[in-house]
Amino acid sequence: MFGELLGPKYLNWLFDGFLITLGLSVIVCLVATLLGFLVCLARLSSLKLWSWPARGYLALFRNTPLLVQLFFWYFGVTSLLPEAMVVWLNQPHSLTLGSAELNWPSFEFIAAFWGLMLYTSAFIAEEFRAGVASVRSQQREAGLAMGLRPAQVWRYVVLPQALRTALGPLLGQYMNALKNSSLTMAIGLAELSYTSRQVETETFKTFQAFGFATLLYIGTIALIEVAGQLIQQSKRYKQGAA
Amino acid sequence: MKKLTAVTALALAVLSGLAHADRLDDIKKSGVLRVAAFDSNPPFGFIDAKTKHIEGLDVDYAQAIADKLGVKLQLQPTNPANRVPLLTAGKVDLVLANFTITPERAEQVNFSIPYFASGQQFIVKKGTLKSQDELNTWRVGVDKGTTNEGVLREKFPGAKVVAYDDTPFAFTALRNGNVQAITQDGPKLIGLLANIPDKDKYEVPPFTISNDLIGVGIPKGETALTEFVNKTLTELESDGKAQKIYDTWFGPSTKTPLARLYKIGDKS
Repeated sequence: MFGELLGPKYLNWLFDGFLITLGLSVIVCLVATLLGFLVCLARLSSLKLWSWPARGYLALFRNTPLLVQLFFWYFGVTSLLPEAMVVWLNQPHSLTLGSAELNWPSFEFIAAFWGLMLYTSAFIAEEFRAGVASVRSQQREAGLAMGLRPAQVWRYVVLPQALRTALGPLLGQYMNALKNSSLTMAIGLAELSYTSRQVETETFKTFQAFGFATLLYIGTIALIEVAGQLIQQSKRYKQGAA
Repeated sequence: MKKLTAVTALALAVLSGLAHADRLDDIKKSGVLRVAAFDSNPPFGFIDAKTKHIEGLDVDYAQAIADKLGVKLQLQPTNPANRVPLLTAGKVDLVLANFTITPERAEQVNFSIPYFASGQQFIVKKGTLKSQDELNTWRVGVDKGTTNEGVLREKFPGAKVVAYDDTPFAFTALRNGNVQAITQDGPKLIGLLANIPDKDKYEVPPFTISNDLIGVGIPKGETALTEFVNKTLTELESDGKAQKIYDTWFGPSTKTPLARLYKIGDKS
């Protein structure tokens, strides 16, 4: 009904692309979560020196299309850098650590990581901020009245509840990061969408190529959802820990 | 009665068709060579802004064939899709419209020997590519969804292929240094270079990694006409006229200089 299946060579292409998609999404989510948390703290700071740059950061990265941001980092920034540096960035490098050898990723990967990470961190910062805002101010006051220091109020009163509230939306942002990673095909990163298009061009098996990519995306998103459900059903989470 | 006339007319048409099976004689008798050419595909066939006539490399070849026959040239503008139907319906005598010789088309029309070849070539920064083999270690930009990508992979398995959405993006990547070369059909690359301000910094190295041979399309079965066209093309090459026509459109002093890698009569 759907025609012939794809040959092993093409399935390998798709899996290679899928691994890049996964690798990119995982490190983007990890780093974006850390950065997003810091941006959130800066945004909530009562010092304007911290909160205003954070406001600017959020406005800049949340209010422009990701595709434009990726083009900016990949095409725009490289045209400003000195030529020798661009050449260095685009050459393969490897780092030998004892017996292990680390390969420096392609410049497409670095630009994709950088662009997607900054974009995602802005959204994650806002999810954290929403979590913090969900903790009513009376709780803080109560904490202070009980003799806790402000830092202790943060650590033992606000943060656990804020993170609990933010967990759902945070997972949603991780799913977005995974889906948004498909845009990096525009700057030539050979991730899943790129390889599915490549397979389509060579085999003309349009349905199979894009269908397979769709299944891989759906499967991964479903795994994130299951992980979220498991966390929310865990005993620790139900008892109120973050 | 009406029906009878129609049948008679048909019979006459068939008979006359048989009697004049040779198109070459028809052309000589009528004094007009009808040729289909492109009118918007510079520099092969396009309407010149000043003269309002169709001109180009294909037109020059058509004129040379008409001159050889001693008849007037009559041009019929066409698009790519109409080239085969115009020949099979007998609306034109020849097609000279960047007509790539393929086995599928050869089942429906006759082809002359090739008079032009376009192939996949590269743009690199001037002086950077010392030998073709270097491409095996280079980062090369291509357009997504084109056959160029497959050809490149086949010829240079070691090259790191980076596919972009279109040729201008690929060229920006080359300009920025994200890739060291980009690949496309030679005439298209030259057209791209013609429109950029700092074209002196780039070059198209004189070699191709694929060959599309362009021939004259002739109605199926017209052996005498095919032989005449082949003979004329060979003569044009030997007396230097073919080189002159090429230089008019792709020579060093034109906006689109491209080394002539294929001569009429070469083995492909």
